[in-house]
Parts: sequence; C-alpha cells; structure tokens
Amino acid sequence: MNKLLNKTGLAPMFALLLANCGVNNVVIEGQFPTPNISKMPVSVAVYYDQALRDFAYLEYTETGSEEFNIESGASHMELFNSITPAMFEQVIFVESMEEAQTAGVDAIFAPAIEEFQLALPAKTKLDVYEVWIKYNMRLLTVQGDYIADWVVTSYGKSPTETFRTVEGAINDAAVVALRDLASTFSLSFGDVPEVRDWLKQQ
Amino acid sequence: MNPYPVFAEGYYKFCLLIALSVIASCTSTTVDEFRQGETGITSDETVVVLGRRQASDYETRSEFIDCVGEKMGRGDNALNIIPEQEFIDAMFPWFEPRTAPLRTQDLAKLMAEDVVADKMGEFGIRYIVWVDGFTETSGRTGSISCTVGPGGAGCFGFGTWEDDSNFDARIWDVGSFTNVGTINTDASGQSYLPALVIPIPLIARVEANACSRLADQLKGFVKGS
Repeated sequence: MNKLLNKTGLAPMFALLLANCGVNNVVIEGQFPTPNISKMPVSVAVYYDQALRDFAYLEYTETGSEEFNIESGASHMELFNSITPAMFEQVIFVESMEEAQTAGVDAIFAPAIEEFQLALPAKTKLDVYEVWIKYNMRLLTVQGDYIADWVVTSYGKSPTETFRTVEGAINDAAVVALRDLASTFSLSFGDVPEVRDWLKQQ
Repeated sequence: MNPYPVFAEGYYKFCLLIALSVIASCTSTTVDEFRQGETGITSDETVVVLGRRQASDYETRSEFIDCVGEKMGRGDNALNIIPEQEFIDAMFPWFEPRTAPLRTQDLAKLMAEDVVADKMGEFGIRYIVWVDGFTETSGRTGSISCTVGPGGAGCFGFGTWEDDSNFDARIWDVGSFTNVGTINTDASGQSYLPALVIPIPLIARVEANACSRLADQLKGFVKGS
C-alpha cells in the first residue's frame, strides 16, 4: 500500500492529513535468542541504572516539532537479561550498586546508552529505516573501580514494506540493532584488552 | 447474425480487459547459472536460504527469502528447507548481518567453533544459499486525482511505473566449504494504474516471478540436474 501511495502521488496528501497529529510513541519490543557461545568462568552482577531503565529517544521533524518518542529501556534490559547468562558462569541481577557489592561476585557489569540515532526514509531518501546506538560498557570491581570501560556501537535497518506502519519499521530496525549489539558484545567481550587481562587473573 | 448482441459486446469487452491485464502484467525474467562444482543432496540433508544484509542502501527482503525457501520446499524435486529466521535464531550470534561469513573461508573458520558445527549437524545443513538483491522502481509517470462530493467520489488519471528485480544466489557446499555455483535472476515489468471513477491496478508481479524462477533453478542446481 505504501508503494502504491508513493507511486500514485497520494502519499503527500496522507502525510499532510496526518501532520500535526502529535508525537507517536514507539515502545521497542522483540525476541532475543540466547547466544550459542562458551561461558566464561566468572560470576558477574548486572546492574541497570535508572537512565538505562527509562531510556527514551525523541525524534524531531525538520520544523522542530516532536515526531517519534522511542522507548527502548525495557527491551535493552530484556536483551542483557538474555545474553549475560549465556556469557558468564554465574549471573545475578541487582537493583543497586550496594547490593552488587555484597553479592560476592567477581565483577559488576553496568551498561549505559550514550547515544541513539534514527534515520527515516523521508529524510535520507533511502528505502530503509535505520537505527544507530552507541553504548558505554562498564565492567567494575566490587569496590566500584573500573576494570574496563569501552564503547560498543550497534546498527540496524529495516526496508520500507507494503502494509507496514512507520512505527513497525522503526521497531524492526531497533530490534536488528539490539541483536547486532548482542552479537558484537558477546563475541568481542573477551577481546577488550583490559577484560582479557582481567580474565587471565581469574 | 448474432442472436445475443449485448452478450457478445460484453464478452468482447471482458476479453479486452483480460488481455489488457495480461499485457500490462507482463514480466520478462532472465536466469543465468554459473556452476563451479558438482552438487547433489540426500533425503536426510537440508538447505537453508539466507538473505545478505550487509549493503548500506538496501536490504534483501526477508519476504523474498521466505518465498524462495517455500517454493524450493514444495512441488517436484522438493528439498528439505530450514526457514531463515529459525536458522538465524538457532545459530545466534554467528549469522547476524555483522558476523555472518562473507566468504567460504570464513565459513570454514566458523565451523571450527564446536557450538556452530554441532548446530549445523543438528539441522543437517548441506548447502547454504546466500541471496543478495532488491527490487527497484523507476520511470514513474502520470498522475491521478480523486475528488469527493455530495454526489459521490471518483478518481481520474493514469499512472505507470517499471519494477526491476535483480537477485544473486550463491550456493555454498557446507561439506567442502566451497562455492559451488551462482545463479542470477533479473526480472522486469511495467505496471499501470488507470483510473476511471475507480483506480484499476494492473500490477506486474516482478518479484514474485523472480522468486519462482530462482527457486526452480536452485532446486535443479542442488539436485545436480
């Protein structure tokens, strides 16, 4: 239908009709499989700060009004809940850093989202929706000192499709980006120099 | 003398409309096959068709991959096909866009991982078919205007466009870690949208034809015929 609307020139009419209808809320939802990788022989406490739990990104139109509010905090937590038990021998999820410090683990893992970008076909003139996310991965000792602090970026895209809403396409692109994060993070974790040195000491 | 002139006139109009639809929906498809190695498959072996998603400006649509897999799995010479998403999820994170093997040498390295080799063995994968391509629309011309009034609504105008699908399929033999062949499918067709009160879409089924032809060719290729 989208293609038909574009081809017949009716898309701008619908776009005009839908303009100024307010911000569209998109809550990212997806399924994240458990990685098939070998577990590292360490115990890790996973802590999500409030900024990650409530993470939302606002996309603005070219005129500066709010267009999309993308909420991805819950899906990020779901993703890390799925991948960390497959990466480490023992994983506990904690509500605070204090709880982590008394949990008797080898390290605390605290991911943070630094940046989120969205590219829409209407702006890029490409037939794909794109999502780009930059993370700050932090691995800490139980005392709170840094073992490693590194940046991971993830990227996802989804093509424009017939009978698919913009919200659905954004969700699909974000889920691809989250899967990209999971694959990059789980496969490269042991290659981060500081993490590699720390793992050798365990 | 025709005893049913009204019926005859209606009949001819109907035939004209059908003929117009057929002409309008005409799609030309070209399939090129390049074989680099012997192929063959046993009844307990399977094939997985995967889409390449590394390009920055387009994406091989999963619907097209599903279509090719579905058509390869039914009819004469049907093969055991593993659905793309089921395979990618089971192999996670090794076949994601950033981590998927781009060359057969990368597949050999990947198979050195026990978890990957075990999963491949569970599925009984003999061939991996990598499909890369997209459908491009060009030559959009014409315009249609629609009006709504107290007496009713209607559209008037004419629109036309051309769709061109180009898909490459590379067949990897998982047993020997070699590329055993490449099949290229190129399909194009012109679509029309005349509107006389109501729009009548005469759509060329370009991607559907590309899917059908590619699936048939792949079936024959894998069987070694």
